[in-house]
Amino acid sequence: MADPRRITDVELEGALRDLGPRYPYPPTPNVASRVRLRITAQPVARPHRFELWRNPRRLALVAAALLVLLGAAALANPTSRDAIAHFFHVRGVIVSRQPSPLPSLSPGTPLDLGRRTTMADAQSAVKFKIAVPADLGEPDAVYVVSGIPGGEVALAYSPRPGIPLVKQTGLGVLVTEFRGDLNPGFMGKSLGPGTTLQETSVNGDPGWWIAGEPHVMYVEVGGQGQTVTLRMAANTLIWEHAGVTYRIESGLSKADAFRIASSLP
Amino acid sequence: MEGRPLDDIALVERAKKGDVNAYEALVQHYQELAFRVAYQVTGNAADAEDAAQEAFVNAYYALGRFRSGAPFKPWLCRIVVNEARNRRTSAQRRTVLAERALVAQSSGDSAQSPEDAAEAREFRSMLVATLQRLKQDDRLILAYRLFFDLSEAEMAEALNCPRGTVKSRLSRALERLRAALPSDIRMPSLAGEHDG
Repeated sequence: MADPRRITDVELEGALRDLGPRYPYPPTPNVASRVRLRITAQPVARPHRFELWRNPRRLALVAAALLVLLGAAALANPTSRDAIAHFFHVRGVIVSRQPSPLPSLSPGTPLDLGRRTTMADAQSAVKFKIAVPADLGEPDAVYVVSGIPGGEVALAYSPRPGIPLVKQTGLGVLVTEFRGDLNPGFMGKSLGPGTTLQETSVNGDPGWWIAGEPHVMYVEVGGQGQTVTLRMAANTLIWEHAGVTYRIESGLSKADAFRIASSLP
Repeated sequence: MEGRPLDDIALVERAKKGDVNAYEALVQHYQELAFRVAYQVTGNAADAEDAAQEAFVNAYYALGRFRSGAPFKPWLCRIVVNEARNRRTSAQRRTVLAERALVAQSSGDSAQSPEDAAEAREFRSMLVATLQRLKQDDRLILAYRLFFDLSEAEMAEALNCPRGTVKSRLSRALERLRAALPSDIRMPSLAGEHDG
């Protein structure tokens, strides 16, 4: 016999508590080992190339990336140099424009920042003076790659008030530094129509401000495209000073990114 | 679980100093909660798994900013929900029917007569379906309190709202759940050993 009276809060809460342990969740997957893998030091030379062949979208992106790298060869040709030199404004970085929207890579794509270590160890592994932006202070994590000429260091800062989480990196701010003068084709950036690119100057040095839609970033390690890391990147300020290329990736505005850049020693 | 927050504090402190084993112990303990919280948002297992994994990785890198001694559980919930919201897909709708079927089959009513047990199952499956029709925020606040047993203080942290508003938001969510239930609904005698 139906009871038309209103169900009380206590009854409804009781019914939900009763439902809780019986709720039809799928079995809980064990993510602990994968999380551990991702947070422990990982060598840069991951066997991505094998995975790439199984993923047509990534493969297409790698193909596009390699085309850009091959474009560097065109620099040797004086007639084409002027036309594309614009894109080699900062040593160590190649920026290219894609006419159509880029496919999106998963935000969880590994960052491949190298081996997690201490600042002192990173400093001893690279051939330039690591610059820590005074505006951000000491980083939450330091990574180093020693497999490229001069080495590369990455300073990772967690999100905090005023510094939003960047979906693409899982971080607040990521600062990378490497010898752009020794690694001309090390890093590539492929921008779709929704991404803006501004030529700029940071403390008098040449740079780029890349903003808007996330862009594709790829890193070639070991020369000859042996390993290509591909991921989506957020707003980025990139510039070169005295042979070292600096890169600040964040969800911050241009003014905030410049403030961080200016606070480098 | 009694004593758990103390364990958490010790593990978090060790993890902050780079002890990966300590962090893995935290992940082991909270992965079920993280997955289930994410599932409440995404409504599908693959996205929930992805969100839980990503949340643990993000939480690890954010540990440096985590206040020592603060409760880990609600902080983690907040990160999980952010990740899960990024992944919520249209697949959610399709899972509702499957969930109803699953609830209808679930056991655990052995102390009841077959008629009461059948009625209780029917009620639960209707409750799951109704929860699924609620707004995500309402479903989440009900789940935090009544499924995952977060205290009001923990809910305030997880929802990033003042403690004073938790009670009123919970009350409004219950009200909307009640309003969404079929008008001729009748409370069955439930087998759960809840108080009152």
